[in-house]
Amino acid sequence: MIFSLVVRAQNTAPSRAPAGPPPGATSKVADLSGDWAPDPKRGGIGQSLSLSDNGGRQRGKEADIPYLPWAREKTLSERSSTGPDLGFASTTDPQVLYCEPPGVPHIYLWPIKTKLVQTPEAVYILHEYGPFFRVVWLNSKHPEDPDPQWWGHSIGWYENDNTLVVDTIGFNDKTWLDQVGHPHTEQLHLIERYRRVDKNTMELDMTIDDPGAYEKPWNARRNFILSTTGFLRYQQICSVKENQRFFDNLAKPAIKK
Amino acid sequence: MNGNCKRTVGILFALAVSLAVARPVLAHHGAAGLYDMSKAVMMKGTITKFEWTNPHNQIHFDVKDDKGNVVQWIVATEPPQVMLERGWTRRSLKEGDQVTVYAFVASNGAPVGNLQRLVLPDGKELSAR
Repeated sequence: MIFSLVVRAQNTAPSRAPAGPPPGATSKVADLSGDWAPDPKRGGIGQSLSLSDNGGRQRGKEADIPYLPWAREKTLSERSSTGPDLGFASTTDPQVLYCEPPGVPHIYLWPIKTKLVQTPEAVYILHEYGPFFRVVWLNSKHPEDPDPQWWGHSIGWYENDNTLVVDTIGFNDKTWLDQVGHPHTEQLHLIERYRRVDKNTMELDMTIDDPGAYEKPWNARRNFILSTTGFLRYQQICSVKENQRFFDNLAKPAIKK
Repeated sequence: MNGNCKRTVGILFALAVSLAVARPVLAHHGAAGLYDMSKAVMMKGTITKFEWTNPHNQIHFDVKDDKGNVVQWIVATEPPQVMLERGWTRRSLKEGDQVTVYAFVASNGAPVGNLQRLVLPDGKELSAR
């Protein structure tokens, strides 16, 4: 039942074409330099992208997420690895189960730093986890029929002299949007706006537009502060061997009855 | 990867990520019964190994129980890149250090837990939070 609904949703043609830079738009290059960590005083890492439910306690019932029926069912069927519904023994998070890439925006719900390297032709968004990186092509267009991939295809431009807009399509449907399992389809169109508020803070406003999973676009936000420890002093790698050792030493004894 | 292995890795990651990402939630929900996050237990012990590693640092230390038997404890902290932000390094602890450990420990009585803070012999306090 759920599977058939998913297939039907994914076969639906996108109803909202991807946006791009406004014709003739010009703007200064926003200064986004620095090593950015999740702001613990403004949401921290959080569990959910829902603006009304950062902690993930209302999964499937958030007023600000306009689910299509299958997407709500899918969300409720998932078992998160963290948060109030965490399931140590039964999580269904593909990133947790198989060390798959978390994708975006899920990666912003990890305790890692992000760095934006700005050049005239592209912005490189670097993540301490993986380490993964994304390329945001400036002064460019999306391909007509992008191959669905883990991180999609990103183009970008600056606006209002202080904001980098990143427009991404071409995602596969293998990742969760966040820690609580909000799904998406290959029709996902993600718009991110990175804005430096002051020297020490940056805001990321996102629009999640996926007509395959949600009735209409919805918004999310992550807040960052400037880190003092430097970027990638330690690499957060997903290693089955290291994780197994952690499990044997610390989880397994605590699970025993 | 067979089913058991996947399940094991799933369990492992679930705990790893929960410790790293969801501290306030863990504190509220007691790690789904695995750890008692309502109070930190104080222990005096001797460091036997400090593993500065993903997915979480592991602090091994020996504690003598009431009968004089040595119990080998392990407590976790968040991962290195997070602990660097909190002033820790891989040299923060060394074998033989006499320490006072405050940890949220397993509800089932197993000698494992999640570090709250640790006090070194010179009185210096290292917070895991």
